Amino acid sequence: MRSLITTTCAALVFGAGTLASAAINADDIPGHPSALSFEELVFTPPASSDYRHELSNGTPVFLASSKEFPLVTITLSFKGGQYMEPDGQAGLAAMTGAMIRSGGSSLMSPTDLDEEFDFMAANVSVGVGGRSSNATVNCLTSNLDDAFGLFMDMLLKPRFDSERLEVLRGQQLEQIKTRDDDGLQIALREMSFLMWGKEHFEARQSTKASLEAITVEDMQAFHARIFNPSNLMVSVTGDFNQAEMLAFLEEAFQGWESGEASPAVPAPTHAFTPGVYYYEKDQPQVQVLIGHRGVQRDDPNAVQVEVMNQILGGSGFTSRITNSVRTREGLAYTAGSVMRAGTEYPGMFMSYFFTKVATTALATRLVFDEFETIQTETASTEEIETIQNNLIETFPRTFESKGAMMGMFISDERTSRPDDHWSTYRDRVRGVSADAIQQAANDYLHPEDMVILVVGPWEEIKKGNAESEADQARVATMEEFFGGNATEIPQRDPETLEPKN
Amino acid sequence: MRALRTAAISAAAIMMIPASTAIAQNVQPIEYTLDNGMKFLLMPRDEQPNIITAGWIAPVGSANERPGITGVSHLLEHLLFKGTDSIGTSDAALDLDYREQLTVIREQMRAYALDIQYKRMYAGEIENPWDPANDTDELREMRAEMTRIQDLQSEITIKNEFDSIYTGNGGSGMNAGTSNDFTIFYINVPSNKLELWAWMESDRLMDPSFRELDSERFVVIEERRQRLEATATGKLGEQFDSMFWVASPYNWPVIGWMSDLMAYTEDEIREYFETYYQPANLVGVIVGDFEVENAKQLIDSYFGRIDNKRPKAAPLVTYSVPLLGEMRYSGECDCQDQVEVRYRSVPFGHPDEAVFDVMADLLNGRTGRLYKALVEEQGIAAGAGASHRSQHYAGSFSFNARPKGATQLAELEEAWYLELDRLKTEPVSDRELQKIKNQQAADTFRGLQDNSSLFFQLAITEGYGSYEYLNEQPKRIAAVTAEDIMRVANEYLKADARAVASYLRKGGTEEVMLTLDDVRASLPEDMVAMVLPGIETGMAEIATATDMAELQSQLEEMDAQKDMVPPQFQTAMKFMKQQIQNRINQLEAGEDSTEQGGDQ
Repeated sequence: MRSLITTTCAALVFGAGTLASAAINADDIPGHPSALSFEELVFTPPASSDYRHELSNGTPVFLASSKEFPLVTITLSFKGGQYMEPDGQAGLAAMTGAMIRSGGSSLMSPTDLDEEFDFMAANVSVGVGGRSSNATVNCLTSNLDDAFGLFMDMLLKPRFDSERLEVLRGQQLEQIKTRDDDGLQIALREMSFLMWGKEHFEARQSTKASLEAITVEDMQAFHARIFNPSNLMVSVTGDFNQAEMLAFLEEAFQGWESGEASPAVPAPTHAFTPGVYYYEKDQPQVQVLIGHRGVQRDDPNAVQVEVMNQILGGSGFTSRITNSVRTREGLAYTAGSVMRAGTEYPGMFMSYFFTKVATTALATRLVFDEFETIQTETASTEEIETIQNNLIETFPRTFESKGAMMGMFISDERTSRPDDHWSTYRDRVRGVSADAIQQAANDYLHPEDMVILVVGPWEEIKKGNAESEADQARVATMEEFFGGNATEIPQRDPETLEPKN
Repeated sequence: MRALRTAAISAAAIMMIPASTAIAQNVQPIEYTLDNGMKFLLMPRDEQPNIITAGWIAPVGSANERPGITGVSHLLEHLLFKGTDSIGTSDAALDLDYREQLTVIREQMRAYALDIQYKRMYAGEIENPWDPANDTDELREMRAEMTRIQDLQSEITIKNEFDSIYTGNGGSGMNAGTSNDFTIFYINVPSNKLELWAWMESDRLMDPSFRELDSERFVVIEERRQRLEATATGKLGEQFDSMFWVASPYNWPVIGWMSDLMAYTEDEIREYFETYYQPANLVGVIVGDFEVENAKQLIDSYFGRIDNKRPKAAPLVTYSVPLLGEMRYSGECDCQDQVEVRYRSVPFGHPDEAVFDVMADLLNGRTGRLYKALVEEQGIAAGAGASHRSQHYAGSFSFNARPKGATQLAELEEAWYLELDRLKTEPVSDRELQKIKNQQAADTFRGLQDNSSLFFQLAITEGYGSYEYLNEQPKRIAAVTAEDIMRVANEYLKADARAVASYLRKGGTEEVMLTLDDVRASLPEDMVAMVLPGIETGMAEIATATDMAELQSQLEEMDAQKDMVPPQFQTAMKFMKQQIQNRINQLEAGEDSTEQGGDQ
């Protein structure tokens, strides 16, 4: 693979443009930017088929080269992740990923391997995620042969060195002690528990006991289930020659035994109970999450729901929740909403803001007011067009970097996204009507079925802002939600996540 | 107005010894300066088609402030998103009228608070003079009047119009940042929208409205709570910083002290803006898919119309004084125990900056010295790292670590001092040094790969002086020698010129009782067999000892020897001390040793 190496100087000079247009006279500058006109931007989204190749064993390989810098990145992406953790072994997925990377290889001890990678300035990472796993090497093109050889030995025959395992386990055991230090971390954890149930992989957390129980054999078994060619897709970006790279990968993967393909992602079975929940914490600012289960990615109304959420709270300052809670009332620095579409089952809708203790109830009321408005009134044409234009005009950014583009092609193929998804996306956005948005707000938002979760000093939060508000119309207390009923989430031991005695 | 050069990035990779690489990079943007003094760096780049990252930097930050207006640079950054005379209102004349009324009532409230409410605070009647909950009847009336005018203004305000215009035109990632030294504004726009960018940015530089000042003040206060007060170590870290910087204007937080956040007047903000945001003080940067000549025309037309309103701002007078002794800070929080040892280093662009950067790299990462020594070999830390940061007027170098298990912060501190001694006395090996240089060289490429990263590097280095830093610094890194590292460690990282911060978990100070397993785990593997039998014999002796005075003197002796015991034996030592203390407690309580210690 020596021919891949670039030993000559790689120099790129960008020519200065030569387009000469007359300077605009200062008097001709319009008084408002709406009077400006722009050349049309023609953009055709790239098709994955233009980048897709296959090795003889059927492994898909996505290639996108660029000669700008003498660097190359190879990513091996595998179907399979946390959702495959056996019961009682929470933390095994993350630990396996970390140990493949840091536990040495068949040829080298952990220290020697790290030393080699570092000396070559090769960035190597391995991660087991929720649904998929990745192993990536990024190095100078000149070192690719050596770096990739060590990388593959590590990935196929990880040593799982026992001393490194104890170091890592020790670090994880320290880490879990901090799980109640940060209010937002508590809020996100408890919201996940409420939404998915503690045992579903979307919510599952490692504990002292589960971390202590993980063995090398567990990791070896988990490694074998995920990191095999049946689950594999590859992407390469950077400085390389396409034909040579395909031949190189063909050779590098020779003899890699294909194992069993990963199973499907399990849907959650947990049902949540709407209402107000609180987790006591002494702090001057309260984290508030309000939400319920959301929409599925391939739902026929998914694009309407997306536009609706952009108007409601998903488009930064332009969206209503940010406008109301932050800009108009000055109650929070961070406020908005997300509509996370799930691939295999509905994801989660969540509004969020962080405000001082006394105004928790007032800000919550403002968010519920926005739920009501978007359900009962049609959005203005101007508001809708702003969001549609934004989604359409920022669309090319989806394909901005070659790495992100390849990553998306891989994810689309793994999850069987319809082929015409990107080519029809802009037309679908443009076609969303005001009525469809209101319909989506009524079909996919259910304020009466939401969970309101707050982390902070509950007795103070409950009282609201009566003492500090000059305007009686703006006084709010937590009594106004769910008939004043609230459920306390017991304080958890951060290491076991069981209620403290 | 002239183009000095053609923009270019060139990279040369030269193979040297196997697997070792020396790399030179050359970043050459087109420089373009307007008659009003505003400078632009233009970097056309077609690797990411259809996208432009554009923005500008003002070399002004919290260091330019003074007590009473701390945080004003950051609040001003927020207010520059609140529209202009023509953006953000449907009735410019009426809006101006409301703004003037609000200025009057705001001044009245401030005068009242600084007089009456501050006196009440100093007299111990109230805690927070700015908290509406402590309003007097008079103040409550003023506040209601302010709310009334704000509500009227709100009716003609087009909320967040500045943002909506960009959003509706495909702008994304619009944001800004304020540091001690600079304030930077940026956005990604589609490549056909460069004129929109020029319109919007020149407009807010000419006629900012500072509309909704009062609600934005509260937004910033919530930001302060979110970033500092409701985070694990935020509040304590802010005080440690303040202590560390002594006279330097880095000694107040970028976001400002709470009292000052409540107090700014519009006049103070406007004066600050007119002083530091004049075109002659600013640098614009455009990176991405655009035509250079077209960009120059737009820059001429839009930014060329901005005038300098005031004389050039005076440079900073106060510089930092050196630390003359050891400072110690300790506090409790809802946080993991952690320790930081911090030293003064050098300002941005100083010849020793590269040496500090190499030294930090030497200590960091999986093959760095701190991981090897503290995490792996001694097993006393869950994590340890070093960091170096050169700012415009001064720099700092830090060691930080989090303990593992029952390790005390003092042991981590001691372990650092041992590592530091190595840096001071032993030259680093050629291979170790080459490894750092190889990584630095590859990382400079990695940092130039995307538009926004390139944008930030150009803007910040030019804001500090010159983008040429991007080309010079890699050469300085490549020239660092083993002797440089020893010299710098000796010269700057001194025991009598350091600040140590210890953060302990709130309520977590009760001592953890160690077990023999803890001791076994704490020892280097080859020492276990050698040391453990002695400890077991010692335990047996202690368990049957009856002479209290003898036990007390043993304890004192161990305390005296504490500093001489190497870090890997600290846990064993502590274990023995606990055993002795236990026995003393038993004897004091008159308990029978055989029943307590019995093992049958």
